[in-house]
Amino acid sequence: MDYLDTVLRRLAASDLCNYHPGLPAATEPTALAAIALFAHGRDTQAARLADRLLEMQNRDGSVGVDRLDQTPGWATGWSVLAWRASQSSPVFRIEYVQGIDLALQWILDTQGALVEQTDETGHDTTMLGWPWVDGTHSWLEPTAMNYLALRHTNRGGHPRAREAQRLLVNRLLQSGGCNYGNTVVFGQELRPHVQPTGLCLLALGGEQDTTGRIGRAIDYLHGELSDRTTTASMCYGLMGLAAHDALPAESDDWLQAAAGRSLARDASSYHLALLALAALGNDCPLLPPKTAGRSQPALP
Amino acid sequence: MTTATAPPTQTEPQGLDRRALLIGAGAALAGVAAVPWLRGVMHDSAGVFVARNQRYDGPLAQTIRDGLLATGFEPAGVRGRRVLLKPNLVEPVRSCPQMTTNPAVVVAAAEVFRDWGADVVVGEGPGHMRDTEWALVESGMQEALDDAKLPFADLNYSQLGWVENQGRATTLRGFHFPQQVIEADLIVSMPKMKTHHWVGYTGALKNLYGVIPGIKYGWPKNVLHYAGIPQSIFDINASLPKTVAIVDGILAMEGDGPIMGSAKPMGLIVVGTNSTAVDATLGRIMEFDPAQISYLKLAADRLGPVGEAFIEQRGEPWREVASRFELIDAPQLRGLRPRGALVT
Repeated sequence: MDYLDTVLRRLAASDLCNYHPGLPAATEPTALAAIALFAHGRDTQAARLADRLLEMQNRDGSVGVDRLDQTPGWATGWSVLAWRASQSSPVFRIEYVQGIDLALQWILDTQGALVEQTDETGHDTTMLGWPWVDGTHSWLEPTAMNYLALRHTNRGGHPRAREAQRLLVNRLLQSGGCNYGNTVVFGQELRPHVQPTGLCLLALGGEQDTTGRIGRAIDYLHGELSDRTTTASMCYGLMGLAAHDALPAESDDWLQAAAGRSLARDASSYHLALLALAALGNDCPLLPPKTAGRSQPALP
Repeated sequence: MTTATAPPTQTEPQGLDRRALLIGAGAALAGVAAVPWLRGVMHDSAGVFVARNQRYDGPLAQTIRDGLLATGFEPAGVRGRRVLLKPNLVEPVRSCPQMTTNPAVVVAAAEVFRDWGADVVVGEGPGHMRDTEWALVESGMQEALDDAKLPFADLNYSQLGWVENQGRATTLRGFHFPQQVIEADLIVSMPKMKTHHWVGYTGALKNLYGVIPGIKYGWPKNVLHYAGIPQSIFDINASLPKTVAIVDGILAMEGDGPIMGSAKPMGLIVVGTNSTAVDATLGRIMEFDPAQISYLKLAADRLGPVGEAFIEQRGEPWREVASRFELIDAPQLRGLRPRGALVT
């Protein structure tokens, strides 16, 4: 993994984590970078980012999408995972636990708007997940993020978590994979995309599925990923496969190719964080804990 | 255009009005008509240029230059100014080139504006995918941008500014626009010519949904759906800097657009300095009645002319290139065709 040292060095030196250089610090890249740095033993740098997330947390527990925008709060789940990643570190602080508690309360109090089921859509629109923006529909990716946060905080058995699990499986396409969250519209099955499929599979790691959709999603990613896959999609795709013990043998080579392209282009901290996480393979800290499955009771 | 008005603390989702999702534009008309600055364009005419027999490997820059000049565009006005080219890259996939704007058209437009001394940037916020790099690669746009040394602005993840809603067909107080959009002196809407299973067809006006940042509005930009699709199309266009339109109608889409439709080769480039007039002309070419299209009902005589009598046709007469675009059979799409014979 020749690329990893470079990626980690650049990531550890990032004072601002964002989607593209020059933009304000954003929650998702900051949280992913913190998780990656904790996992690679760069605790001091990771803690600095975790502290930034605390600074960005709103009084209601949500964390806005970037340093300048207090809403929407769809990236709050990533912050929970970042603070959670500090738990076995010497830099652990009680403030991280307080941040988690407050954020989880906001997550559990937030839900997508209910939508009447119609003949036009093939998925169950009455299932409750999480929206991108408060007051709108539940969508696949924010639901996966928050479901992941609940599973990592021993709340995999909470009713909201169980419904999120059902929603995610329901939004998987019959033919394999998923997209932003629509399945069939006006009788046509829509196309799958790599990034949401990877995130969805990551969130569903270890879950039992009698529909066969998870297996077909894995098959879709196996068929779609290659050394040419773009960085974010590649990383989410590989993390999703790792969550199901289905990493392809070529994954390190593919990551190296993606890293080379990212480092040659804008080397955004978002991409660097994802590369550092995906490089951990089966040890990626975002993979759901083995004990956080269906039978896990919710904590009070 | 930017105002001192404080932006709302949230992105202002509205209560879902299902009728608004389908058609429902009429109720907003009265309020829109009262917007003072919009009255200035009522009954003004606008030029629309139609070029046929166009190919992606043809002299597209010449066609676009001819079209802009024929419709009254003043090249001196963009010298030293910032021009943002906005293609449609909603959900690119190599097997469906009829869904998204072909890179050749974007590069040709950039050549035209650069020749006129403009500072050109290409920008898009793909509506259905968070991995913008994927959208650029799958569409072939990344390679084209690299070859032409054209910078790209990821409008889903940008520094944002707040702009007051100048249309007020929705109840949104304003929009969080990317700075590249706010600071542009000219926005060039570069849509694909295609059908749309909710509103009939879309063109230059709807394409500007793509300037709305996903980081604030989601993927898809669901806040706008809640506000009402036709109404938000109107409001976004009413709130943007000056726009012109260059439509990729070479390989168009019919049927279950805007994503799953079939390819319909048309060989057309359509250009105009008024997006409403351009979209009305697109509709006539596709054998729709533009006066029945929900967002054009709102835009008519407010953002620009829809009536044929107020649109100066340049290049090929639209009747000579008209061809019926098939639609899916859905209630919201009935009644969008003109009554009686359209093409003579």
